[in-house]
Amino acid sequence: MKRFLSIIAVLLALLTSCQKSDFEYDATPQGNLDALWQLIDQRYCFLSYKEEQLGFKWSELHAKYSEKLNPSMSRIQLFEVLCQMLSELKDGHVNISTSLDLGRNWSWKEDYPENLNTELRQQYLGTDYHIGSGLKYTILPDNIAYVVYESFSHAIGEGNLSDMLAYLRLCNGMILDIRGNGGGELTNAEKLSRRFTNEKVLVGYMCHKTGKGHDDFSEPSAEYVEPSKDIRWQKPVVLLVNRSCYSAANIFVRNMKEMPLVTVMGDQTGGGSGLPFSSELPIGWSVRFSASPSFDARMQHIEFGIQPDIPCSLDEAQAVQGKDSMIEAARQLIAKGK
Amino acid sequence: MRNSFYFLLLLFMFSAAAQAEQALEPVPERLPSARAFLLGFGKTHQLDTYLSPMEYSGTQISFLAQSERMTHLAQQHISFQSTFHGAFTSSDNPAETASYLGARLAYDAAWHYHYSPLKNLDLKGGALIGTDLGFLYNDRNGNNPAQAHFSLDLSLSAGAAYTFNLWKLPVRASYQADLPMLGIMFSPEFGESYYEISQQGVGHDILCAHPGNALSFRQMLMVDFCLKRITLRAGYLCDIRQQNARSLKYHDISHSFMFGIVRYFGELRIKR
Repeated sequence: MKRFLSIIAVLLALLTSCQKSDFEYDATPQGNLDALWQLIDQRYCFLSYKEEQLGFKWSELHAKYSEKLNPSMSRIQLFEVLCQMLSELKDGHVNISTSLDLGRNWSWKEDYPENLNTELRQQYLGTDYHIGSGLKYTILPDNIAYVVYESFSHAIGEGNLSDMLAYLRLCNGMILDIRGNGGGELTNAEKLSRRFTNEKVLVGYMCHKTGKGHDDFSEPSAEYVEPSKDIRWQKPVVLLVNRSCYSAANIFVRNMKEMPLVTVMGDQTGGGSGLPFSSELPIGWSVRFSASPSFDARMQHIEFGIQPDIPCSLDEAQAVQGKDSMIEAARQLIAKGK
Repeated sequence: MRNSFYFLLLLFMFSAAAQAEQALEPVPERLPSARAFLLGFGKTHQLDTYLSPMEYSGTQISFLAQSERMTHLAQQHISFQSTFHGAFTSSDNPAETASYLGARLAYDAAWHYHYSPLKNLDLKGGALIGTDLGFLYNDRNGNNPAQAHFSLDLSLSAGAAYTFNLWKLPVRASYQADLPMLGIMFSPEFGESYYEISQQGVGHDILCAHPGNALSFRQMLMVDFCLKRITLRAGYLCDIRQQNARSLKYHDISHSFMFGIVRYFGELRIKR
């Protein structure tokens, strides 16, 4: 009986044992910086690439930013130091979310001309344009379809796409304007891409981290766009892009560049090819970071954006006259039969 | 190190139970067939590094439906036990700025060999096959808001029950511990996204589970007592589910106070 009771006592003692997290919980400024540095060191998917492209050493940044800390600093001061450290990555998918502010680096769009005037764009759409979920579309006077998709966060259904393409079927071509589209759902990007190909097309590759090492990645898996079984567009398409095309919009541009009837026109896209994950710091702030990189069909990085087939920018002089020079260039291209 | 120590102690306990199985005599005179339904309330500690490196703490509401009856196997020395265990959890991170909501449903079927070295003492040892399905949802994560958990295990199981009188009322105290030894479990790769899982399927995310990468454990200490015409059961349930695979760590540790009713059916006579 004594043995029985002692066994029970030992088993009850098992309560205190458990799998521990990888880091010691420490809510001091240094503890938070350590946690953030470790998170990026182990889970951020572009560290080797960014070190090579931007010329920093992540291992050196820990000491550099630790020097800026002191135990009595305020939360806003800590937030600023942590954001400064993350800004070295120049990644729009890397953020710290707090009740104070959203830590961000939007240099991918803020350092460049916007090449978009939404008032001008609205003039082309007019007032009697159609709205199919997130898609706005109309037919321009020269019988060219003009479609605006402002965010891949706006869901689009197969029915929306079929109805839109049926309505626009007699047009000579399509201008698909995604300028200012900052991304959203990858599934929407894929769904729309499928309407512009008659064959299965290799559009890129994707992989993910398999461990904590900077170069621990899975074998890249090929990404294909399969043709939709519903109505597909068979005429020239000009895809208008600018620096604000980011994340899922960047992936959409990557896909569309592989389609035979599509010409990408405008400025380089903003990039953002890492699928973001969320985590957090001991202080309770949420952290977002790129976790799974995507590549183009030639296995090249598209984190810093995609070059257009035809570079083009918004002419301010024409804008004053009520003309969007990028839309006009697209119309001319379609009119010339590409 | 501490885990290894406890693991060795557990093995010792199971080996003692196995030795007991080898002795066919004596067996208890009577073992009741019972069905119990209990509700529980307790604390939970949850870590899932796919979602967050922080351990979340909170509350758990659970139920346990268990039935046990003697079979005709091994001259009626073997019992069959069926257990449903469901739990709903709500927990917060240390800074209380984010929450997990979770649910689990587990079922296991166990076969125990019974041995009674003393008149009122029943020892049992055996194995169980169990499956566990659940999820953990983080209310503010973006592309990785939730994690699914699945396991199918073969476990060692051992226990004891002691019947005695307390203030002239019959009381039955029982203890049971279950230790998964081999099975399969779901675990995504370190940075694998839902998008990739949806594209490539989950086949490559099913792994072999063993105490080296999934040291889990469940123990129950229950007391049955009569109150007028009904039999009540009260006790403690500790459920420790852990994974350490693909550089991801997970644990869900709960301690619950359980309370419910038991119905005993026609007592089975055990042959000597």
